[in-house]
Amino acid sequence: MTYFLYPGCSLEAGGSHYLVSVEAVAHALGLTLKEIDDWNCCGASIHYVGGTELQTKTLNARNLALAQKQGGYDIIAPCSSCYIQMIKTAHEFEEEPKLAEELNQILAEGGLNYTGGVKVRHILDVLYHDLGVERLAAAVKKPLTGLKVASYYGCQTTRPYGEYDSVENPHTMDEILEALGAEVVPFEHKAKCCGSGIFFTEMETCAPLAGGILGEAEEKGADMIVTACPMCQMNLEIYQPRLNKILGTEYDMPVVFVTQLMALAFGGDFKKDAALDRNIVSAAEVLKNAAA
Amino acid sequence: MATKAYDKSFREEVYQNVDSGEDVKLCMQCGVCGITCPLRGEMTHGPRQLWSLIRAGKRDEVMNSPDIMLCTSCYSCKVRCPRGVKVIDVMHGLAHYALEQGIVPRKETSKFGKAFWDSIYKTGRVDETEVPMRYTLMAGPIHGIFNMLEMMDIGRALLAHKRMKFKIGPGLPPSKKIKGMKGLKKMLDKAKAMSPGKEG
Ligand code: SF4
Ligand code: SF4
Ligand code: SF4
Repeated sequence: MTYFLYPGCSLEAGGSHYLVSVEAVAHALGLTLKEIDDWNCCGASIHYVGGTELQTKTLNARNLALAQKQGGYDIIAPCSSCYIQMIKTAHEFEEEPKLAEELNQILAEGGLNYTGGVKVRHILDVLYHDLGVERLAAAVKKPLTGLKVASYYGCQTTRPYGEYDSVENPHTMDEILEALGAEVVPFEHKAKCCGSGIFFTEMETCAPLAGGILGEAEEKGADMIVTACPMCQMNLEIYQPRLNKILGTEYDMPVVFVTQLMALAFGGDFKKDAALDRNIVSAAEVLKNAAA
Repeated sequence: MATKAYDKSFREEVYQNVDSGEDVKLCMQCGVCGITCPLRGEMTHGPRQLWSLIRAGKRDEVMNSPDIMLCTSCYSCKVRCPRGVKVIDVMHGLAHYALEQGIVPRKETSKFGKAFWDSIYKTGRVDETEVPMRYTLMAGPIHGIFNMLEMMDIGRALLAHKRMKFKIGPGLPPSKKIKGMKGLKKMLDKAKAMSPGKEG
């Protein structure tokens, strides 16, 4: 099975541990990932400050056009913000002929053209629907027995079309984590927003949102929060000391990508495959305590 | 950046000049979006009330509302609105429209967002750790949340954990451009000219 990988800007830097572990997981499961050559940024959640809606759609249409030209494989966008931006443009291109025409007029300025049909997929979608939980379970060499995890999807991961999971009460990542042998604690904040794209610039305003997520995870006895979005990972992890100051709390909660745990459970190396040495709030100890 | 239709009512101005602004017409004032926003406690009006102010032609109240920039882009409204209003796109459209007229609904988000877009427009990409660093170091502390030293600490931690590509400092290397930058720039310019409320 061959897919395009759209790493997006955050997997190149702040989410580099996501990229390493996604590649390790793909390798272990026999998936071929090709990077879309010369992709551009999707615009993320903050595009509107400088750009118009049509400009943001242009960014995404260019990536879709490149993907079509380079083979037309399904695009995996591990970053939830990238996923939402790309799938929005892909959908609206199919649904609104006038927009499709406009976008092609614009793409022509750079010698490109898009005829539609390229699929945009979240990594959870591909893991759950194309491979299936049973195949994932069969690949496990070191089950994560005894590890208690809060499965946190965040707000954008399964929205806005509900193409592969419920938009209000998602379950795909829970089942993937259970297939790895982990115990998934009940988690009401699973699809609540952490502050997303304005977290960094509105941290005091957004602190209670992130605090609610970290707080419930702790209350439910989770050893770590598991996520599939680089923005959630960054917001909840690297700013934890700041949040503690603002909220008067003492959170010290590892926030780990689902693919990092998969890489580990599939028998991969802690550093080389799971890139768990890149987490700033270290998960080494809780993972050692679990039977992994 | 000229905007048309100042002579018409504010309502018409929004329908014509604001991205997705026409969607406001579809709203039936059920209030679902208003109670859905994660930051509703921080908002004065929230989306539903903003729509009704737009219809009532309350230009100043809408354009000066910080709420239009307190949308986190969570997409909850998008999946819940019974009328299919693109609530989030209208919020973003209003924020963009206000900024173009020199109104700044939220200072820090505006500055940061501008740095973000500039990077896209110049290089085609954004370094999601570098832009915050650059922005903090150059623009000074963000209203008391960060001071530069703290941001440097976070930067160092990211660097040590292989999550940042560059060392921070005054000699930050310029980001690499995508190969098709020339074409992308042309496309973005054309898209701007074709956007609602723009001459072209
Ligand atoms: S959401 Fe972030 S990572 Fe994804 S392409 Fe866009 S800027 Fe880059
Ligand atoms: S949820 Fe939709 S219909 Fe209801 S008030 Fe909001 S925009 Fe209007
Ligand atoms: S996307 Fe924005 S407007 Fe919609 S519920 Fe979330 S914060 Fe509110």
